[in-house]
Amino acid sequence: MNSVGEGCTELKREYDQCFNRWFAEKFLKGDRSADPCSELFHKYHTCVQKAIKEKDIPIEGVEFMGPNREKADS
Amino acid sequence: HDFHPWETVTKAAMQKYPNPMNPSVFGVDVLDRNVDQRGRLHSKRLLSTEWGLPSIVRSIIGNTRTCTYIQEHSVVDPKEKTFELQSTNITFTNMVSVDERLVYRPHPEDPEKTMLTQEAIISVKGVSLSSYLEGLMASTISSNAGKGREAMEWVIRRLNTEIEELAITARGTLRTPMAAAAVTEK
Repeated sequence: MNSVGEGCTELKREYDQCFNRWFAEKFLKGDRSADPCSELFHKYHTCVQKAIKEKDIPIEGVEFMGPNREKADS
Repeated sequence: HDFHPWETVTKAAMQKYPNPMNPSVFGVDVLDRNVDQRGRLHSKRLLSTEWGLPSIVRSIIGNTRTCTYIQEHSVVDPKEKTFELQSTNITFTNMVSVDERLVYRPHPEDPEKTMLTQEAIISVKGVSLSSYLEGLMASTISSNAGKGREAMEWVIRRLNTEIEELAITARGTLRTPMAAAAVTEK
């Protein structure tokens, strides 16, 4: 599966692999240890954030707002 | 069709795309993820979908107008064994709004089975839906529910194949050192 940001797909796959493993082997089995994927997520997240801003995708309610995104007040 | 326990279905649902029953989904991105005080995993995801118009049409009207974006919020409760997903379109909201809610939980009578409840609320701006349109949407939604189950079966089969392939590889690697030992012993 690809990322919306064409250049982010590889980073996404690495993060997904880490997450899916933790999700199946730890989280669903009741293991409360935190996932080891934070660094991978951070790299991937930075990439996606940029792609979303570039494509002007109107994400709601996620701390995604960059300095040049302003919500119109009605 | 087969029955699957909740854990299997939840793992598959988390990795639902791509699958041949949902060809319009071309991108899935995790926007945010965290575990709350009750140990539930929250995920916010962005689904990028493409209407599947012929490329000549897309080149005329431009790519931005053929993509629809959907934002999804899901919660997995490993103690209660529920996986709840809510999604809504965040583009074309001035025309139509499709809100979907899915909940996967173990079947109350058989823990080897999973029950899915699914509902969709569709609003078309400024148009009151006649009963014909409502009927049409209801039949589309229920046939899509069947498609959804097919999609899950496909993903579950794919994950099982990957596990088998890993097991075969592991067995293959074990054979090599023993063969080397047999040769040197001569």
